[in-house]
Amino acid sequence: MPAHNEPAPPRRPVRAIGTAAAVSPRIADEFFYMAHDDQTGRPRLFDTALASGLAAALLVELYYERRITFEHGKVEVLQRLPPKDWLQHLVLDQLIAQPQHTDTRTWLAFLATTAYEQVATRMWQVGLLQQQQIGLLWRQRTVWVPTDINTAAWSWARLSQQVRNYRQLDHFDIALAGLTLHTQLDTALLDGAPYSAQAHLRQLVNQSWLPLRDLLADLSSVIGAGVLSHRTS
Amino acid sequence: MPRSKPDTVTAVLARGRLGIPSVVFFVIAAAAPLTVIAGGATTGYAVTGVTGIPVSYLVVAAVLAMFAVGYVAMSRRIVNAGAFYTYVTHGLGRPAGVAAAMVALLAYNAMQIGLYGGFGAVLAQFLQSRYGWDITWWLCALIAWAVVAVLGLLRIDLNGKVLAVMLVAECAVALVFDAVMLGHPASGTVAFDTLAPAHIFAAGIGAALVTAITGFVGFEGTVVFSEETKDPRRTVPRATYIAVVLTGLLYGLSAWAMSVATGPDKIVDAARADGTDLIFNLVSPHLGTSVVTIGRILFITSLFAALLSFHHTVARYLFALGRERVLPAALGRTSRRTGAPKIGSIIQSLIAVVVLVGYAAANADPIVHLFFWVTVTGGLGVLALMTVTSAAVVSFFARIRHGEGPWRAVGAPLIATIALTAILVVTLQEFDTLLGVHPHSPLRWLLPAAYAIVALIGATWALILRAAKPDVYSAIGLGPESATASLRNPTIVRQPA
Repeated sequence: MPAHNEPAPPRRPVRAIGTAAAVSPRIADEFFYMAHDDQTGRPRLFDTALASGLAAALLVELYYERRITFEHGKVEVLQRLPPKDWLQHLVLDQLIAQPQHTDTRTWLAFLATTAYEQVATRMWQVGLLQQQQIGLLWRQRTVWVPTDINTAAWSWARLSQQVRNYRQLDHFDIALAGLTLHTQLDTALLDGAPYSAQAHLRQLVNQSWLPLRDLLADLSSVIGAGVLSHRTS
Repeated sequence: MPRSKPDTVTAVLARGRLGIPSVVFFVIAAAAPLTVIAGGATTGYAVTGVTGIPVSYLVVAAVLAMFAVGYVAMSRRIVNAGAFYTYVTHGLGRPAGVAAAMVALLAYNAMQIGLYGGFGAVLAQFLQSRYGWDITWWLCALIAWAVVAVLGLLRIDLNGKVLAVMLVAECAVALVFDAVMLGHPASGTVAFDTLAPAHIFAAGIGAALVTAITGFVGFEGTVVFSEETKDPRRTVPRATYIAVVLTGLLYGLSAWAMSVATGPDKIVDAARADGTDLIFNLVSPHLGTSVVTIGRILFITSLFAALLSFHHTVARYLFALGRERVLPAALGRTSRRTGAPKIGSIIQSLIAVVVLVGYAAANADPIVHLFFWVTVTGGLGVLALMTVTSAAVVSFFARIRHGEGPWRAVGAPLIATIALTAILVVTLQEFDTLLGVHPHSPLRWLLPAAYAIVALIGATWALILRAAKPDVYSAIGLGPESATASLRNPTIVRQPA
């Protein structure tokens, strides 16, 4: 077993702003970009959908790393070998440490409580996001803003163009398309496109791998249940 | 499995979960106690001419507590437990479920829209008497409508703490008023006439009972929170019983106290003369103006809280049905930024404004023709839903293996079904008394018939779906969970939490 507890080396100053990302793209990062305005960093989604979507994205990353799979609403750990990425490693550790919880919905709810900060931190470490103070005096708060508009807008533009032109998607973009569809971000992504484009998106997602669709169905019902039991706290 | 390991998942998810008090606050605030006492009970006396209103509240509380036994037991075993039609679907089949959903949509819309009449009239009267402003009721109602429409789209509920403060204040004011009224009985002695059980068998009791049921609508919402409570097995049942018992006692006490203050033989005439002002007029000689004014303001805010709450209820019903694709899928979409069930919210607001404009154009009475007629017609729909739901609980437990005792699974739901059916039958027989119209008036049949018609449409639609879209048909009753239905066998029954 490789050193299980050793944190991955920080990779922050890898690239200069304005160049392409030096690390391989990760689904949660790209979904984070898609779910936020590329310039202001303002969320394009309401908080439940955003947090649950990011939680699902983290699980998809582990699925693509062949560590876990989804079947009948349950998460199953296939391989305990830690992934290179620290956040994937952390999530997998949590899954392994608590085998009594197997429901995908439970894990989505649990991961949703921390996913936003975790994904943002991971993106900040490699220079994809920076913190910015906004608002006046008493309403001042810190938000995450993309360091580079082009990088931030890339996944959005790519997915939008490919779906509008009825192209097939690679396995990475299929996952993004699924997250987009099930968090209902697709209305904005395909704004102004004909209905057939939305049907194409739906068809692409519905033809993808069964475990992925299983996860997405749970994502959809978690968000829907959140809408029904919402109350202003 | 090593149970000694720290269970972080459970610990993290338990954070911010609701306890019994929060759930009670949410549902009682939706039922809006001061609206029922100052608006429902007084108008009930006035329109029906029945003096048995106080005992009706107590009887209905007992019946609903009985109903709640099986209802909460079943709620733990089904998904989308917030909606009556889910119970009906699982207990009596999908066509009955869709019929119930249509009845629920009509009934909750009626509750919400009727409340605009109460709100508009009461606010207009308040502004007139206090500031001398002459504003018609429908303008006040339209302002409230605009605020509700915007809050609905922004998905803003009343904040839990605000609700709690309002609720405690409302109950305190009601109790103070009750004490004052009981301290100043009309004939010098406190009379118990209006609490006599003999009223239950008197003429016109159906009208009184459905008036009482209308006051409780909203308590069924406790189960919506079951997944967010600390301990669903305990929290939801207890919160439900507490809500029913507390409101029942408060309504019964207040309605009785009013009859003591006027004298039991004069309560109907007094209610007809004073309308929704009755309770305030009765206490104002004995209390400072400021207390009475606070009472009036709380009456208005409680009406608003109920308006907003029922608006959200309708929007969420439409959302759940849209998610199942029983209604157009567009209804199942949410606003991206706010997460509000956008289209459902807009549709509810549109229906409301059309009715409001109609009433304003027809120059109808906002209290009798809109507030009372329409909300009790809503109450009738909810009564029908509760009756069918109770039967569905019996049928559900008869068909599955379960560990509930015979009381929860059979006894209580069966008694509730019989009692609710009896109330439903007498209500329909006496619907003319309820509306205060001539026994041959077509209205007494038209309003109840509307439910029969939408139920028929719902059942027919379900049968069409069965033939045309079997996948949609199989997901009926699952609400947002229907997303998983095409991949798995629909998990109608889940393990009790």
